[in-house]
Amino acid sequence: MATERYSFSLTTFSPSGKLVQIEYALAAVAAGAPAVGIKAKDGVVLATEKKHKSILVEEHSIIKVEVVTDHIGMVYSGMGPDYRLLVRQARRVAQQYYRTYLEPIPTTQLVQRLAAIMQEYTQSGGVRPFGVSLLICGWDTDRPYLFQCDPSGAYFPWKATAMGKNFINGKTFLEKRYNEDLELDDAVHTAILTLKESFEGQMSSDNIEIGICNAKGFRRLTPAEVQDYLANIA
Amino acid sequence: MARGTSAGFDRHITIFSPEGRLYQVEYAFKAINQEGLTSVACKGEDTAVCVTQKKVPDKLLDPITVTHMYKITPTIGCVMTGMQGDSRYQVMVAQNEANNFKYRYRYDMPINDLCRRMADINQVYTQNAEMRPLGCGMILIGYDDELGPCVYKTDPAGYYCGHRACSAGVKQTEANSFLEKKYRKKTNYNHDETIQLAITCLMTVLSADFKPTEVEVAVVSKDEPAFRTLTEQEIDYHLSAIAERD
Repeated sequence: MATERYSFSLTTFSPSGKLVQIEYALAAVAAGAPAVGIKAKDGVVLATEKKHKSILVEEHSIIKVEVVTDHIGMVYSGMGPDYRLLVRQARRVAQQYYRTYLEPIPTTQLVQRLAAIMQEYTQSGGVRPFGVSLLICGWDTDRPYLFQCDPSGAYFPWKATAMGKNFINGKTFLEKRYNEDLELDDAVHTAILTLKESFEGQMSSDNIEIGICNAKGFRRLTPAEVQDYLANIA
Repeated sequence: MARGTSAGFDRHITIFSPEGRLYQVEYAFKAINQEGLTSVACKGEDTAVCVTQKKVPDKLLDPITVTHMYKITPTIGCVMTGMQGDSRYQVMVAQNEANNFKYRYRYDMPINDLCRRMADINQVYTQNAEMRPLGCGMILIGYDDELGPCVYKTDPAGYYCGHRACSAGVKQTEANSFLEKKYRKKTNYNHDETIQLAITCLMTVLSADFKPTEVEVAVVSKDEPAFRTLTEQEIDYHLSAIAERD
């Protein structure tokens, strides 16, 4: 592996004061598969499109909605390989926190630490920013959380949001559909409808992934459960 | 929407272009085709197979030493497509990783974990400027006692996936179309059918009839989970079976 390191950052200011590498990273995110997150009264739902380019690909060999801890999950839009690295970092951060405090990591803490890691890659020598935006959901202190982490290291708490291709339409759709009294079931329903807005072709349990987080913790829905929700929409 | 001009370095190192692309990674994909070879891998009910062309460019070369099939662990092997130096390096790293895993956890590294690990290493090269992405693609085959026969592929972008069948190299697109047509109709090929399917795919996209010395075939199956390359006689048997079928 490399023993020599670049001693200068590759992300530098343009004359207009912008960090263009970060803007380009956001372009990579906007070209990625759509992902949606919605916070309900009693939980959070994450959903994403998982289209494969060919029937030769094993649909369930790759997982996009990942478990970080028992009560935190995440999904992304953008570059898959970069996402895998961040999933590992998130899990490591969560375990380190538990080792220090003997307490499951609060969602806000995880988001802050993960965002700090993403920021490091915009300033350290010889590395490029991550080409992903993350949606992190969790349940602690008896309430749900939903956060977005950007390649710049900025993070935003959301009630509902969409990322990736067609995210503007997705967000508009959510603005109309969202209300504070949503239950988790309705939120899943709404998330699927939001994905449907930009979905080409027929939705099935093989080409979308859904995760839910509530007081019982975070888990991915099984293909059968996803199929049930899809049947209710049709 | 950022419509900027790059400083020109986005084509030299792995930083983002204005459209959010990584040119160096895309060029690495092109490097895979430099050698001009194609590899195909597919799996059936209880067998996974990979085949590749064997071109010995010089009569003075010892044909036994010309190979693109490598054993990573006793039950996992791979076919490498692309730059030979990078291929051998990646195989060495894979063997190292698999061994470290076995030493640490006391059981054989599963093929999907190995592929994910290789893909994660590939991802590091796409994010750090010091190291360029490798110009080779790795297709792993193995028999997993939980998942059955497996075909996993990773590429210079750090992406990886499990496949029913896949290909890499110059004629990748044609080979994938051929395989898609076949797998749309049937997926549970038996041992001989799987091997012959892979060889037929390669023959069709290259429009060539192979002699046993012009192709390399490697197999893992439920009855014989050890990764091994077929001998000339065994390849001949399958080539005859294919010829008889047509």
